[in-house]
Amino acid sequence: MRTGHFKEATGQLVALSDSRVVWFFVALLLAACVAAPFLLGNYQVTLMVSALIAVIGAVGLNMLTGTTGLISLGQAGFLAVGAYTNAILMMDYGWPVWLSLPAGGLVAALISILVGVPSLRLKGLYLAITTLAFAFIINHIILYAEPLTHGPNGIFVSGAKVLGVDLQRGKALYYLTLGTTVLVVLAALNIQRSRVGRAWMAIRDHDIAARVMGVDLVRYKLLAFMVSSFIVGIAGGLISLQIRFVNIDVFALILSIEALAIIILGGLGSIAGAVLGALFLSFLPEVIRLFFETFADSSSNFYTSYVYEIRGIAYGVVIVAFLRLKPEGLIGLWRDIRKYWSNWPLAY
Amino acid sequence: MRNKLLALTACLLASTASYAADPGVSDTEIKIGDVNIMTGPASFIGRAVAVGSKIAAAEINEAGGVNGRKITIVTEDDGYIPARSFQALTKLIEVDEIFALNGTSGTANVLAMMPLIEENNLPTVVTTAPNELVYDPVRPSVFTIGGSYSDAFYGQLKYIHENLEPENPVYGLIRQDDDFGGAIEHGYERAIEEFGVKDGLRVRFKKGTANFAAEVAQMKQAGVNVLANGGIIAGAANILGEARKLSMDMQVASVWSEDMPPSVNLSAPAGYDYLVADYVALNGPDYDRFMEKARKYASEEEVAAINRYTLVTYVGLSALAEAMKQCGQELTRDCTIEKLRGLKNFDTQGVAAPISFDNEQQLSGTALAIYQLNAADKSFKRLTDFTDY
Repeated sequence: MRTGHFKEATGQLVALSDSRVVWFFVALLLAACVAAPFLLGNYQVTLMVSALIAVIGAVGLNMLTGTTGLISLGQAGFLAVGAYTNAILMMDYGWPVWLSLPAGGLVAALISILVGVPSLRLKGLYLAITTLAFAFIINHIILYAEPLTHGPNGIFVSGAKVLGVDLQRGKALYYLTLGTTVLVVLAALNIQRSRVGRAWMAIRDHDIAARVMGVDLVRYKLLAFMVSSFIVGIAGGLISLQIRFVNIDVFALILSIEALAIIILGGLGSIAGAVLGALFLSFLPEVIRLFFETFADSSSNFYTSYVYEIRGIAYGVVIVAFLRLKPEGLIGLWRDIRKYWSNWPLAY
Repeated sequence: MRNKLLALTACLLASTASYAADPGVSDTEIKIGDVNIMTGPASFIGRAVAVGSKIAAAEINEAGGVNGRKITIVTEDDGYIPARSFQALTKLIEVDEIFALNGTSGTANVLAMMPLIEENNLPTVVTTAPNELVYDPVRPSVFTIGGSYSDAFYGQLKYIHENLEPENPVYGLIRQDDDFGGAIEHGYERAIEEFGVKDGLRVRFKKGTANFAAEVAQMKQAGVNVLANGGIIAGAANILGEARKLSMDMQVASVWSEDMPPSVNLSAPAGYDYLVADYVALNGPDYDRFMEKARKYASEEEVAAINRYTLVTYVGLSALAEAMKQCGQELTRDCTIEKLRGLKNFDTQGVAAPISFDNEQQLSGTALAIYQLNAADKSFKRLTDFTDY
C-alpha cells in the first residue's frame, strides 16, 4: 500500500509527475494513439481527428476560463479567425501550411487583444456577453469583407502538402493533429506550473488579492486571452484542413457553448479535465448511436420516426445526469477512481 | 481443364470487378445515402426529405427494384451544421459504404461535403440546396434539381406586374445579408430594370433576425406596395405581421419555403395572399396522385411531415434510379454519372417539370410555377404552369 509522497525540493513540487507509473501509462497511451490509424477504419480516424481538434480547443479555452477565471463565449469567433486566416493564406496567397497554420493562431492572438482590452474591467456574465458580441462582430466582418474572406461563399482549402505528403488526408492529418495536441497539452501543462500560470490562478481566485501580491492584472489577463486564442486559432486552422471548406456557418455560436460545456464537464481548471471532457463529448453521440443500433428495435415505427430525437435527448440527459452526480466533472471521477485504487482494499 | 478453370476464374473476376471497385452495390441491394437535418429547429425539412426518399425507394422496390436490386436508404443527421455533414458523409462512405447520395441538407452543408463527394466520385443528386455555389463550378458527379431564387423572385414580380397591376407601384426588397439574399436581390434588380418600376427601398438583415419593426416601418415610409419578402419561415411571418400592424396594402412575393405548412401557419394570420414560385407541384391531380402513393408507402406520421422537400427528394431519387437502371447489371459510379449526365426529359409524373441534366451546369427542374396563398383557408391556387424565367 502506498503511504504518500514526501517532496524534498521545489523542483519535485513543480515536476509534471514524479511517478514512473504515470509516465509509463502516458507512454502507453501515446503508443496507442500512434498505432490507432493502423488499427482503426477511416471513419474512426476521422472521428479521432475531430476529437483531437476539440481537445486543442478545449485546452485553449480552459487556460482562459478554467485557469484565469475569465468566461468566454467568443471561441467560435477565434476558431473562425484561425480557420479563415489559414484558408486565405493558403489559397489566396500561396503560403505553405506549416506557415499558414501558426499564422492562424497568431492572428487570433492579436485580435484577442482587441477583445481583451475592453474586457479588462469586466467579469463573469458581463465578460461572457462581451466575448459573445465579439463572435457576432467577427461573423459580420467575414460576411462583409468579401474581397478578403470571400463573404458568404466560403473558401475551399486544398493543397496542404509538406514534403509531398498531403496533410489533409487520413493518417497524415491524424498525425498532424495528434502532434499538435501533444505540443499544446505539454505547453499548457508547463505554462500552468510557471509564474504565468500561478498568476492566472491567483487572478481567478481573487483578482484584488492577486494585484496586492504584485500580479499585473492588465498584462496577465491580456496574456491569458492571447495564449488561449492562439491555441483556439490553431484548432480553427486544423478544422479548415479537415473539412477542406470554411464558411461562416461552420463556426456557429453553438460551438462556443459546446466548448464551455466541454471544460465544465471535464472539470474546470484542469488540463486533464479539458482533454477528458473533449474526448467524452466528441465520442458520446457515437456511443449513443451504437447503443441504440445494438439494443433498440430498429424495425419499429416509433424508432424509425424518432431515432434522432431520442439520440439527442439521450445526449442531453447523459450530460445533465453527469453534472448532477459528479459536479467536479470527469477529472473528479478520475481522482476518485485513483484514490480508490491507491487505498484499496481500505475504504475511504 | 486448366484452360477452363482459368476462363472461369477470369469470368468471376470480371463479374465482380465493378462491385469491388464501387461500394454500395451487391447482387440484391443498392445503398443510397442521405445527409439531412433530422434534429434542431429545421428538422421538419429533414423529415420531409427522408419521407421523399422512402416513398421513392418503396415505389421502385415494389416495381422490382433497379434491375432486380432493391434500394436501401441510409440516413445520417447533420443538425444543419456543416462540420457534422462532413462527418456524416464520411460515415456513409466508410462505414455504410453507400453507392450514391441523394438529398443533401443546406448549401454550406453540401459545400462542406463537396471534397468528399469529388474524391469518391460519388453520384450525387442535390435536391434541397439549388444554390449557384453548388453547381458553379460544375463538379462531374454532382447534379442539382431546383430553380434559382433569382428566377423565383423575378417570376413572381413579373406576374404581379403583368397580372395584378397594382396602382402606382413602388417596389421594396427585404433580404438576408448572405448569398441567398444576394440571389433574391439579383432577381429583384432584373425585374426593376425590365419593368421600369420605382425601386422604393432595399433593406438587408442578418440571418436569425426576429424583429422587423424598423425595416417594415421604413418600407411604409417609402410607400412600398409590392414587397419582395426575402425572410424565411418565422422571419417572413414577422415581416408580414409588422406590415399588417401598419395596415400596409401590398402584393407580396415570397421564398418557396413559405409554401410549407409550418410557414403558412405562421404567415397566414397576417392576412396577405402572398405569391410563391416553386419548382414542385403544390396541388392538382399530379399532386393528389403523389399523395396517394405517400399514403400507401409511408406511415400516418410521415405523411403528416410531407412538404415541398418531400416531392423534390422523391424526384431526385427517381431520376437517380433511372440512371442506375440504364446502366444495366454492370452498375458502376462512372456509368451512373454518365447516364445522369445524359438524362433528358425524365418524366416526374407532374410532381415537377421533366428532369434533364444534359446541360453544362448539370442543373434541372429550373422551371417554376407561381402559386398564390388564400390566407383565409391556407390553401394555394396555381397561377401558372412550370415556366423557365
